[in-house]
Amino acid sequence: MKRYFGIFTFVVIAGISLFAGQSRADKSHHSGRYDDPRVAELAEEVCKKGWIIYGARDLKGDWDLFVMRPNGSDIHNITNTAMFNEGLPRFSPDGRRILYRRIPMGERFDNNRHGMQGELVFADSDGGNAKVYGKEGEYTWASWGPEGKRIVCMSAKGIYFVELATKKVVDRLDRRGFFQQLSWSPDGKWLCGVANSFGTGWSVARIEMATGTANAVSSMDNCTPDWFPDSLHLIFSYRPAGQGNSEYGWTQLWMADGEGKERTLVYGEDGRHVYGGAVSPDGLYVLFTGNMKEDGDASGSGAPMGLMRLSDAPTIGGQSKALRKVHGSTKDGPVLVLPDGWEPHWTYCELGTAK
Amino acid sequence: MTRSLIHVGRYAHINLFLLLLLCPLGLCFSCSKKPDTGEDAKVTTLGSIEVKAQLLEIRGKIIDDPLYDYAHVMKYRILHVYRGKIDGDIIYVGHYNPAEPRSSVADARVREIGGNLRRFKATDIHRIALEVPIDDYYMGGIINKYFSESKDPIYWALWTNLVIK
Repeated sequence: MKRYFGIFTFVVIAGISLFAGQSRADKSHHSGRYDDPRVAELAEEVCKKGWIIYGARDLKGDWDLFVMRPNGSDIHNITNTAMFNEGLPRFSPDGRRILYRRIPMGERFDNNRHGMQGELVFADSDGGNAKVYGKEGEYTWASWGPEGKRIVCMSAKGIYFVELATKKVVDRLDRRGFFQQLSWSPDGKWLCGVANSFGTGWSVARIEMATGTANAVSSMDNCTPDWFPDSLHLIFSYRPAGQGNSEYGWTQLWMADGEGKERTLVYGEDGRHVYGGAVSPDGLYVLFTGNMKEDGDASGSGAPMGLMRLSDAPTIGGQSKALRKVHGSTKDGPVLVLPDGWEPHWTYCELGTAK
Repeated sequence: MTRSLIHVGRYAHINLFLLLLLCPLGLCFSCSKKPDTGEDAKVTTLGSIEVKAQLLEIRGKIIDDPLYDYAHVMKYRILHVYRGKIDGDIIYVGHYNPAEPRSSVADARVREIGGNLRRFKATDIHRIALEVPIDDYYMGGIINKYFSESKDPIYWALWTNLVIK
């Protein structure tokens, strides 16, 4: 009898653990039915194009890392740790590994400094072989180098490049006012990030590594920049003031060339702050989050992620009367709504071990 | 009897006038703060520079937004240098989250910061412990409305006390 009770207890605990490992948004997602046939077509088009990784809260309420197919199916919790919150995952250029940060369970991710919190961790892209790299507060704002053998990091003292195998700092750059969300371009020639050195708060800017010179790409109330695969364009969030929301405005997704000469709206929606833009490896699609609360991604539970074709940009979601007054002509293509998440990233590779 | 009342009433008017004149003066004297040099253990030890300076201008609106941390650059005239070296008599100083009283401004991002100043007001005199340049000590948003007119280094305020003459 005791033996059966033990088996029963094990099954119950295992069941609870598996259930708790799901993300909060799993249950409502990917029914496979879409009201808009255009969205169904988009979901079918992307469903076999690799994997998306993102941070989300599991049913216990802590942050874990999840992977899913780009149509929102086949969701797996790949960290499911009891003692830590995990966030900010990024696939290596070959898609075989990930880096992310983890913080103690009692600490919350802070939207202003999440890249500086906790420890940097490397793992296989399926979450296996996770290893902490350095101490808490080290290797801040880490970003993969183009070959996956080096990372670039940033602290108050400057930007520095680390050879992963040896932990040796192999190069340094003045940070030129960059202070968060550093990202190394796929061609290895540029860095982008958020900077304070262009006279306005929160500019998106880039640094040419060969010369150390910096230029603003978009210079007022911008954040979460990331590279297009061509290393010539950036995707970023921008909140133009005076467009609704009691003149505060709603944060929109924009793109621009590296010199900042041509800036165009990608996606906007009155009533949502759009963050976390990440372009697909072939540059055809873009991922983002749309939060009804400013700063709601890190401090809340993430936000519904969206996926759209870049050829459908600019697209405006919902009625968005104020935004449509500013952008008269939009394509309003289909947007595939995905589970709640924070800072998604995309690889076209299959998940697996680095070996 | 009637004359007497008129008489008293006339004096009462003068008394009331004197009362109205003297009360605010009395209040002013009773409420005036004691002189304070702003000296304390923190301002005299933190950072590599310590000055007494007059806040000349707060250009731009101080934003009170709990979602974003930032430093706001303000313009000062140097009145006295206690420690370190300052070139010129005008400096630009970045104050972290200036909508907050200095006593409660320290947080997880910026720990070694504070002072007794409750509110930034142009013309006030501050005793400040400083470092320079701001980028070596602070990594965050900066609102600098002097960006296009001055390329002088921005100082970073560590400890800010109010000076009362």
